[in-house]
Amino acid sequence: MTIPLLSLIVFTPAVGAAALMFIRNDNVVRWMALGVTVLDFALCIAMLGGLDTSTHEMQFTETRPWVPALGITYALGIDGISAPFVFLTALLGWICVLASWVAIDRKVKEFMVSLLAMQALMLGVFCALDLFLFYVFWEAMLIPMYLIIGVWGGDGRVYAAFKFFLYTLAGSLMFLVGVIVLYFHGGETFDIRTLMAQDLPFQIQSWLFFAFLIAFAVKVPMVPVHTWLPDAHVQAPTAGSIILAAVLLKMGAYGFLRFSLPMLPEATVHYSTLMQVLSAVAIVYGGLLALAQDDLKKLVAYSSISHMGLVTLGIFTLNLRGLEGGILQMFNHGVTTGALFLSVGLIYERTHTRSISDYGGLMKAAPVYTAFLALFALSSMALPGTNSFVGELLVLSGAFAANLAVGAAAVLGALLGAAYLLGMYRKVALGPASIGVRFKIRDVNAREIAAILPLAVFVVWIGLYPKPFLEIIDASVKHLLAQVHGKGGAQ
Amino acid sequence: MTAAALFQSILASLPEIVVVTGACILLILGQFVRKEQEHFLVWASVAVVLIAALGTLMLAGEVRPAYSGMFVADRFAVFFKVVFYLATVLTFLLSRRYAEIEGIGSSEYYVLLLLALLGMMIMASATDLLSIYVGLELMVLCTYVLTGFLRLQRRSNEAALKYVILGGVSTGIFLYGVSLIYGLTGTTQLDRMAAAVTGDPLDPGLLLAVVFIVAGLVFKVGAVPFHMWVPDVYEGAPTTITAFMSVGPKAAGFAVILRVFLNPLVAASDVWIIVAVIAVVTMALGSFVALVQDNFKRLLAYSSIAHAGFAMFGVAAGGADGVASVMLYLLIYAFMNLGIFGIVIMMRNGDFSGEVIEHYAGFAKSHRGLALLMLLYLFSLAGIPPTAGFFAKFYVLVALVERGFVMLAVIAVLLSAVAAYFYIRIVMVIYMREPEGTFDPALTPAVGATLAFTAAGTIGIGLFPAWFLRLAQHAAVGG
Repeated sequence: MTIPLLSLIVFTPAVGAAALMFIRNDNVVRWMALGVTVLDFALCIAMLGGLDTSTHEMQFTETRPWVPALGITYALGIDGISAPFVFLTALLGWICVLASWVAIDRKVKEFMVSLLAMQALMLGVFCALDLFLFYVFWEAMLIPMYLIIGVWGGDGRVYAAFKFFLYTLAGSLMFLVGVIVLYFHGGETFDIRTLMAQDLPFQIQSWLFFAFLIAFAVKVPMVPVHTWLPDAHVQAPTAGSIILAAVLLKMGAYGFLRFSLPMLPEATVHYSTLMQVLSAVAIVYGGLLALAQDDLKKLVAYSSISHMGLVTLGIFTLNLRGLEGGILQMFNHGVTTGALFLSVGLIYERTHTRSISDYGGLMKAAPVYTAFLALFALSSMALPGTNSFVGELLVLSGAFAANLAVGAAAVLGALLGAAYLLGMYRKVALGPASIGVRFKIRDVNAREIAAILPLAVFVVWIGLYPKPFLEIIDASVKHLLAQVHGKGGAQ
Repeated sequence: MTAAALFQSILASLPEIVVVTGACILLILGQFVRKEQEHFLVWASVAVVLIAALGTLMLAGEVRPAYSGMFVADRFAVFFKVVFYLATVLTFLLSRRYAEIEGIGSSEYYVLLLLALLGMMIMASATDLLSIYVGLELMVLCTYVLTGFLRLQRRSNEAALKYVILGGVSTGIFLYGVSLIYGLTGTTQLDRMAAAVTGDPLDPGLLLAVVFIVAGLVFKVGAVPFHMWVPDVYEGAPTTITAFMSVGPKAAGFAVILRVFLNPLVAASDVWIIVAVIAVVTMALGSFVALVQDNFKRLLAYSSIAHAGFAMFGVAAGGADGVASVMLYLLIYAFMNLGIFGIVIMMRNGDFSGEVIEHYAGFAKSHRGLALLMLLYLFSLAGIPPTAGFFAKFYVLVALVERGFVMLAVIAVLLSAVAAYFYIRIVMVIYMREPEGTFDPALTPAVGATLAFTAAGTIGIGLFPAWFLRLAQHAAVGG
C-alpha cells in the first residue's frame, strides 16, 4: 500500500488545527502551528521530489468513493499545473505563521486554527480531482477567511469581511449551478478527468463558461468585480493579506486552467478575445488606480489586480508562451506580492501607519529592510534578473502573437507598474526622514528575515534560472493546449 | 374487517398506539407527580418516544397498508417519523431547564407535545385526505395550546390567538378542497382519486380543489402567501415550542405535501408551476425580510420561511430525486435548526432573554466552545460546506437541474446568497464585537447532550452524506 501523500499534505494542517484547539498557552500554540506548517512543507518537498515532470498525467492520485449515489468521489491528484501552487501554499503556510508571530496578540489560538484550516482547504482546492470535492474546499475557505479578516483585521474589518464573503459566495454559487449542469451533461460524474474528455455542445459550453467566469472572475479578481479586493486587503491582518494575494487570487486563474480551458474548449476559444480585452482593462485600470494610492496596502492591492490581469491575459492568449508565462506569473505574483504584503506588514507593526506620505528616509533607519523592499518592488515591476521578468516577457510575447492591441495595453501596464512602484520606493526609502519614522525604527530581526528570505531566494532564483520551474509545468501546459485546440478547432 | 386485517392494522400503527397510550398514562400520572419530581415526566416522555421509535424501526422492513387504505406504514413514513422523534426528543431535552426558568413546567406540556407528535405521525402515514385531516388537526390543536403556554405573557397569548384564527381558516380551506375532491371523484383516498378521474386532469373544478388543498398545506409549512403567522407565533411561543414547530410540524406538512404531490392526479396537472412560484416568493420573502430583524427568534422565523422555500424547490422538481431531496433537507434542517434554537434556549437565563441579537456581542470571547457551535449551525443554515446544510441545498439543486429547471436553481442560489448575509451577521456579532456584559448560559447536561448531538449531525452528515442520502432515496420511492 502506498502512502497517500496528498491526503497527508492536505490534512496535516487540518489535524494540526484540531489539535491546537486543546492548547491553552499562546506560545505553545505558535510553535505548534509553525511545526505543523513546516512539516507540511517538508511533505510538499517530498511530493515535488517524486513528481514526474515528463508527463501531463495526474500523479499521486487517490480515489475513494464518497457519495456513490451521486457519483461523488474523494479524488486527489496533481499535475504540472497544480504542483507549483501546492508548493507555494505550503511555503506560505509557515511564512504566514512567522508573520503573525507578534502581530497577532489576541485570540492567538483561534487565529492559528483559522490559518491552519485555511491552509488545509487551499491545498485541497489545488489537489482535488473531483468537482464536488473541489467545490467543498473552495467554498469552505470562506469561513476561516471571513474570520481572519473580520476578527483580526483593521478598523473597517467588518465591512471588508462581509464584502469579501458575499462577493465570493455569490460568485461561487453560480459556479455551483454550473457544476451541476456539467454533471448532468457530462455523464453524471464529478470526476474532473472524465469531464475533461467530454465533448459538450457549444451552447452548453457557452453557458457554463459564463457561469464559471463569474466565480473565477470574482476570485482573480477581474474588473469590474474587483472591488472587494482593496477592502479585504487593507483590512486583513498581514497573514490574511499574504494568503489572499498569494494563494486565493490564484484560485480564480487556476479555475480557468483546470475547468474552463480543458472542459469548455470551444467556448474558451470563442470568447478568448473578450477575456483578453477584460484582462487588458484590468492591467491598465489596476495600474492607474495603484498610481493614485497613498495607502501602502491599497497600492499593492491594486497592483495585484493589474498583475492578475497579466496572468489571465497570458492564459487566454491560448498559446504556449502565453500560458506558460501566465502560470509562471501566477507563481511569481504569489511570491512577490506575498513578500510585498509581508514587507508592508513588518513596517506597519513598527509605525502603525500605512500612509506613504508618513514615510521617508527609511533606508537609513532600516537598511536591511529597505534592501528587501527594493528587491520585491523591482521584482514586482519585472526588472530583468527577477522572477517576474521571465513570466512577464513570456506573457507579452504570447500576447503580441495573439492580439497586438492587447499586447500594447499590457506593455502600458508594465510601464505604470514601474511608475507606482518606483514612486512608492522613492517616497518610503529615500529622502529625508519624515515625521512618521522620526523615532527609532529597529531593523528586521532574525524571525522576520526567516520569513522574508525564502521569498527573496525565489525572486532571484526564478529570475536567473527559470528552467526547473518551467519544466514542471511544461508537459501539462502542452497537454492543456492540445485539449483546447484539439477540440477547439481554431489556430 | 376480519380479525387478521385488524391485527395487521394494529401492527402497522403500533408506534402511534404506543405514543397515544403513553400520552394518556402521563396525563394521569402527571396529576400525582410532585413539583420536585417533574424530571421524571421528561424521562418518561423520552422513553415513550424511544419505544415508539423502536417499534417504527422494527416495522420498517415492509409496506403495511392498514385501516382499509386510510393509513400506511412504509419507508416514506418511517423516514419522516424518525425526523419527528428526533425533533420531539430533543425538544424534551431542551425543555426541562427552560420550563423551570419560565415557570411552565407541568405535565400537560409534555403530554401535548406527545400528542402533537402523534398527529405528525398520522400525517406521515395517512393515505386518505380524511386521515390526513385528522392528523393535521391533532397536531395543530396541540401547537395552538403550546404556543400560548406562557400564560402570563401577552405576547404568547397574542401569538396563540393569531395562530388559532389563521390556522382555523386554513383548515377550513383545506377541508373545502377535500369536499370538492370528493364531489368530483367520489373518493378521498389518494390512490383512488387518480383512477376516478376520467376526463381532463386540468378540469377547472379539480384544479380549484388542488389549489385549496395546497393552500391549506402551505399554511402549515409557513410558505408565502400563508406565512404571516410564522414570525408572530415563533416570537411569542415559548422558545422550545418554536424550536419544535420549526422542525416537526413543518416536516409533517411537507410529508403530506409530498404524499399528495406524488399522486399521479396532481402530477398530471401543471401544479408544479404554482409550487415553483410559491418556492421563489417564499424564499425571497424569508431571505429579504430576515435581513432587517433584530430579534433572534423573529430572524429564525424568517429563516425558517426561507428554508421552507428552498425545500419547496425540491417539491417543484418532483421525481424520485426531488422527493428525496426534500426529505434529506428536512432531516438536516432538523439538526441544524434545533442546534441553533438550543443555543437560544440555553441563553434564556436570569435577566438575559437571549432574544436580541445584539446581546450576543462578544459571546465568543468568554464561551469559545459554544460560540464555535453557533458558528457551525449558522454556517450550516447558510449552506456553506463542509456542513450538512450545504449538502441539503446541493441535493435540491441537483434535483432541480436534473429536471431541467436551471433557472429555478439559479434563483435558489442567488436567494441563498442573500440569506447567507443574516447568518454571518450573527457570526459577526458573536466574534467581532466586544462583550458588553457577562453571559450565564443555562447549560445543563441535557442541553449539552442536545447540542453535541445536533452538532455531530450537522458536521457528520456534511462530511459523510452517502448513507443518509441512500436512506432518503430509498424512502422516497416508498416501498
